[in-house]
Amino acid sequence: MSSNQDDAGTLGLNFFGSMTASISHEVKNVLAIVNENAGLLEDLALLAEKGRPLSPERLKTLAENIHRQVQRADGIIRRLNRFAHSTHEPAAATDLCEIFDFTAALVARLAAMKGVTITIVNQHPVPMKVRPFVLENLLWICLKNLFAVTQGNQTVALATEDLGDQVVITLQLGEGLPVAEIGAQTASEGQSLLAALRAELSTDPEHNLIRLQMPHMQDQ
Amino acid sequence: MSERVLLIDDEQDFLDIMSERMKNRDIDVTTASSAKDAFSLVENGSYDAIILDLQMPEMDGMQALERLKALNPNLQVILLTGHATVEKGVQAIKLGATDVMEKPANIQLLVEKIKKAHAQKIILVEKETEEKIRAILGSKAW
Repeated sequence: MSSNQDDAGTLGLNFFGSMTASISHEVKNVLAIVNENAGLLEDLALLAEKGRPLSPERLKTLAENIHRQVQRADGIIRRLNRFAHSTHEPAAATDLCEIFDFTAALVARLAAMKGVTITIVNQHPVPMKVRPFVLENLLWICLKNLFAVTQGNQTVALATEDLGDQVVITLQLGEGLPVAEIGAQTASEGQSLLAALRAELSTDPEHNLIRLQMPHMQDQ
Repeated sequence: MSERVLLIDDEQDFLDIMSERMKNRDIDVTTASSAKDAFSLVENGSYDAIILDLQMPEMDGMQALERLKALNPNLQVILLTGHATVEKGVQAIKLGATDVMEKPANIQLLVEKIKKAHAQKIILVEKETEEKIRAILGSKAW
């Protein structure tokens, strides 16, 4: 195994660890809300035993709350399942916008903790043959480095452009962020991922842009 | 006398239901969905205990705890966290937290901790008042 593969493996493990830790927090939050709803039902039952009238509307609202949280947990677990399977998926034709959507959903909680909103600019699919896990990992490193320096209230816009045999992914950051530093840190940390994707990272501090350019067809 | 509690969590559903359950137990609850909102409530009000979520947007619970204790060292802060680790617990206690509890929380246990925090606050306030009186008496040439 080459040193690049070793590094990519370690980065992948770190990425997987960060995402699963965040997801487990999300699930715990859902469980806490379900727990309090169940507890409130118990409280209401005890109060009813003591003679306080039980409102059917109140019960309906609590049941709806529980349904909503179960749906939320279902979405989180589906995301975790897809993410877990993506670690061993080979390179395949994928829509880049779908990778953006998935990455944004995966890191949404961590982004919210830092006051960052991630938006996807593209409206139309941009197909590319790639291992989603590798690209998601690279995007995560970039976002993580942004989270480390942001003071909150930021928006990151993800966009992609099809240049024929190449694709360009841009991360448009907010004003006042050290774009060059974030780019340099990402290039250094994600060196093995950039190599695996045969991608080049460049920055345009004047326009607050980080650009990733790579071949359309990936074989990693 | 009912305990006055400030409940801080970014999950509105959690705030709504938990505050209703606490009210059913005669606790006077105020809620805040961010640390920033909580600071202004603490500056303008008096609470027997603060229940603080450890993971919140923009400012995490540890930072919020530090700032709350700086606003009022007598505040009794109970941290609620999804994953309580020994490391986090030690850090929280060092920063002045009264207690650390894991989510989902047992309401009976939480209410007991609130009552304990209330009693502790009374002791601290009485001690502070006594010291102030002693300082005033010491500074006067009677």
